[in-house]
Amino acid sequence: MVSKKKKKYSTGEGAQFMTRKAALKKLQLSLKDFRRICILKGIYPREPRNRKRAQKGAGGIKTLYHTKDIKFLLHEPIIWKLRELKVYQQKIRKARSQREYRKMRLYFRDYPDLNIDHIVKERYPTFVDALRDLDDCLTLCFLFSTFPSLKRVPRDQSVLCRRLTVEFMHAVIAAKALRKVFVSVKGYYYQCELEGQIITWIVPHHFSFQPQSKDEVDFKIMSTFVEFYIMMLGFVNFKLYHSLNLVYPPKLTAAFNSDTEKDLIDEHAYVAERIAAMNLSPAKLAGSNEAEELPEIDVFDTEDKDPEKIEEAKLEAEKVKKLKTMFQGLKFYINREVPRESLVFIIRCFGGEVSWDKDHFVGATFDESDESIAYQIVDRPSMDKQYLSRYYVQPQWVFDSVNARTLLPINKYLMGATLPPHLSPFVDKIKDQVYIPPEQRALNDPNFKLQSDNEGSDEEIEEASDEEKAEQSEPEDPEGALTKQYQQEVEQDSSSEDENDDEKDAEKKKLAKEKKKAMAVTTGVTHKENPYQKEIEDKQAFRLREKLVQKKHRNLYKSMKAGKESRKKEIWLLRKKRRLHDERVKEEKKADRKIQKAQALEAALK
Amino acid sequence: MTIVKKKKRVSKKSKTAWRKHCDIADVEAFLEDQRLEERLGKFETKPDEELFVLDTKGEEEDVKPDIKPLSAKQLKRAKLAETPKCFHILINSSKVSDPNAKRNTVKQPGTKSTDLSKLSEKRQLEKGTLQKKLELMKKNKKLAVVKRKKGQTNRQRYDKDIWEKSELEAKGIPETLCDDFISPEAQLHNVPVTKRLRSKPPPPKTVVSRAAVEVPHPGVSYNPSYKEHQELLQEVVVHEQMMMKKQAHLQRVTTGMFRKITPQEKENQWLEEMSTGLPHPHNPATDQDPTEEPSDDEYKAINPPVQNKKKDHKTRRKQKERILEKEKLKRQKIDKQKITDIYKLRKIQASVSKKEQLDAKLREKRTSKRLQRATTALPALNAHKAPVKEPEFVDPKQLTGDLRNISGSASLLRDRFQSLQRRGALAASKIMMTKRKKLKKYYKPGHKVTDQDVDNFMKKSQAKAMATLLRDK
Repeated sequence: MVSKKKKKYSTGEGAQFMTRKAALKKLQLSLKDFRRICILKGIYPREPRNRKRAQKGAGGIKTLYHTKDIKFLLHEPIIWKLRELKVYQQKIRKARSQREYRKMRLYFRDYPDLNIDHIVKERYPTFVDALRDLDDCLTLCFLFSTFPSLKRVPRDQSVLCRRLTVEFMHAVIAAKALRKVFVSVKGYYYQCELEGQIITWIVPHHFSFQPQSKDEVDFKIMSTFVEFYIMMLGFVNFKLYHSLNLVYPPKLTAAFNSDTEKDLIDEHAYVAERIAAMNLSPAKLAGSNEAEELPEIDVFDTEDKDPEKIEEAKLEAEKVKKLKTMFQGLKFYINREVPRESLVFIIRCFGGEVSWDKDHFVGATFDESDESIAYQIVDRPSMDKQYLSRYYVQPQWVFDSVNARTLLPINKYLMGATLPPHLSPFVDKIKDQVYIPPEQRALNDPNFKLQSDNEGSDEEIEEASDEEKAEQSEPEDPEGALTKQYQQEVEQDSSSEDENDDEKDAEKKKLAKEKKKAMAVTTGVTHKENPYQKEIEDKQAFRLREKLVQKKHRNLYKSMKAGKESRKKEIWLLRKKRRLHDERVKEEKKADRKIQKAQALEAALK
Repeated sequence: MTIVKKKKRVSKKSKTAWRKHCDIADVEAFLEDQRLEERLGKFETKPDEELFVLDTKGEEEDVKPDIKPLSAKQLKRAKLAETPKCFHILINSSKVSDPNAKRNTVKQPGTKSTDLSKLSEKRQLEKGTLQKKLELMKKNKKLAVVKRKKGQTNRQRYDKDIWEKSELEAKGIPETLCDDFISPEAQLHNVPVTKRLRSKPPPPKTVVSRAAVEVPHPGVSYNPSYKEHQELLQEVVVHEQMMMKKQAHLQRVTTGMFRKITPQEKENQWLEEMSTGLPHPHNPATDQDPTEEPSDDEYKAINPPVQNKKKDHKTRRKQKERILEKEKLKRQKIDKQKITDIYKLRKIQASVSKKEQLDAKLREKRTSKRLQRATTALPALNAHKAPVKEPEFVDPKQLTGDLRNISGSASLLRDRFQSLQRRGALAASKIMMTKRKKLKKYYKPGHKVTDQDVDNFMKKSQAKAMATLLRDK
């Protein structure tokens, strides 16, 4: 018996993939509809391991899809809807070409709408999944919210984007979820934490709309992405509001209804309206109580009982807790030259109250003359009328304070001052073994004192800080610790030898005494653990453990240690250089001052 | 030639013959007339007005009366009273009276108002219930319109928590089976046929693992620190250098490959090539004297024929011996090498191990490089390549360190679009612009040009000149 001959590419990679053309044929859809449904359902083209085999021997690079993906699409109910839409489109086209505009309008009125909420659920089975994938969604929605109505973008899309983004910002404000802000030339980077998920998004700077060149971006595709993201963001907002005990469709200003779109033609009025909407607080659900503090972190007996990590997590939680109420009870007044949108969002996020010039923009809550205003944010070199009761700071102070997680000292951010650089909060904190100049350290760590602030005792402080640094770095670098321990051991040995002579005499006496009072009862002495001794034992144990490093990891370990050592040396060298430089500068200054004094004296004498 | 004569007398013997040869047109016409009279009524009984029209206009033209055309609404209203066109066929248009004079007509209930119905209607009218009914109808119609509109704009209502339901229900498993105690096999078995569980393969790795919003370089801050900004600039420089190198390489391997010649040289070359085989023009300086021809007229081949010279036995033997000797020497050398190699064993071992180490190192390097490339490589999903990410360049002149004066240079939309392509969510593509149709230009032949055309041309050219003048001003 001869078995049937197996056809080529009927199994394996050849059967796993299909080209886009084949997919179109299988689904009986046009390319436009196929693109749309793929974006909505989250089906992406694939890159095969062996392209030749996947393309069934055909050359070139074709767009391939997983066969299972296409079969999955085949069962989607909205495919039928798309086919229905096709009929409508034909009717509309016909009416337009026959100039029967009445009919066309009717068709447009009755044009069926795709309902895709089941797809949101299908793609993101849990709420956390949706939050995890919110980066792209938010960035695109914020971007589209700045667009006017465009040719290939549905009319209500940008209006809806505006509404949803403002709603989302309200949710972030209510949850106090904002963590980091970064102002780049591209836009504002925000990072917030919702349900343990970290979400980052970009909000573009407010410019008037810049027309995009047509050959760069496919607007139709982007608007299809936005179509899905709008749906997703709406449901995410709903869930967020309900978890925060807020009434979901919050009553925002009139600008967010599509009906009143015609009334607001002026772009600036629009923006002002949006910012005003952000300054309102959404209504709470009846019967919900105000204070819902998160409980403290419970310590579980997990497998990695790293006390350092737990401590770190606790510190972090403490910091975050502080951050959440950073601006609590503070009143901010924003001068009219400052871009308000981001500032209002940030200040409201941390509990502050904001207002602005009520003559220029809508939605101001208090006047400039209010005496309880704590900070006025200005972006101009000087002002005619200043109040004594408030600080005049530049907007960067707000951003830097958020990133530092405390209210930074305002002296560097006062009106007209040259600002310190705005550093990114997104840099890796793992890179700690680098030399950080004291100025930058002062920026990062507000507790750190710069030497030049108080010249009298700068050397002592520097030493102290160096020591601190050394202490901090001690548990981290094993090598340094080992050498130190060795020195300590040597010291201890010598000291114990020195003591031994004295002790011998003392001991004899003691023995004699004890023999005398052998039967006497003495008060017990509690066993005291010598911390120093314990440290030594720990170090020894560490060294033993070091010996147990597997052979295959030994080289890596060695190189790691060597690297650490070299980096440390470099830091030391740079620090020394800096110290010498500072000393020299100081000397020169002193000399200069002396000369000046002498000159002044001479001048006075003359 | 035979002329077919019409027969004077024909036999009307059979029925068919009778029918064939009898002229009954007059009878038929009469009967038709009668039928028409029956249907439309008798001609004599018709009044004159129906039959004749009094011509009062004479030769004057028809003057349309100045009546406002009915609006669409009014037209509709007027039509409301008419019998629908679909029922026209049911209406009896014939004037023929019913042959059955005493037909019993049965009326549908409700068509004729009875005494009772008249009474109740009157009562209803007095009470106002009829009025109310009409109002309710209007209200319902309005509601229906609103409802239809609402149904269309479902994208703006987010009025449910889609994540509330359990996962099993979302998969299409009936509610009754969503219980802890029911095994998954049973649950799957009972999934309705229409909602088949189709497992979707996991999305591509690039889509999942690559961040949607990449962490920005600290140098792109609107007020960056000097060091970070310099680092960014350095990156840009490295990128630019790489691009330039690539460009130079391309230039070298394409355009640079071909040697260049001057136009004069090209001309000369062409002349030379084209004139090969042509008889040279006579040049007394270079041309040989035709009288001074080579004297020997002996034939000389360019390729003299090869002779097959046979080797004799001696040369063959010598050749063989030489080969054998060579082979022997070679073998001896190898043997000698083997003996010396025994003493060299440690050295060889060392070299082998060294080679192996080197190989291992290289292999490691290669794998690590491959892995690194795999993490950043752009997915090849299309014949077009996804655009490489370029470092965001901030011109130091543009940096004001001021929030007010930020100048937006980067297009965030393009950035997003390319990010999607780089993550593999979209196949990279070149956007095809719809080309404008090229119109063929042609001139009208002179004999067809009319004065009108000339006028038009003059007008056009004048307008053009004016436009350019205005633009220059």
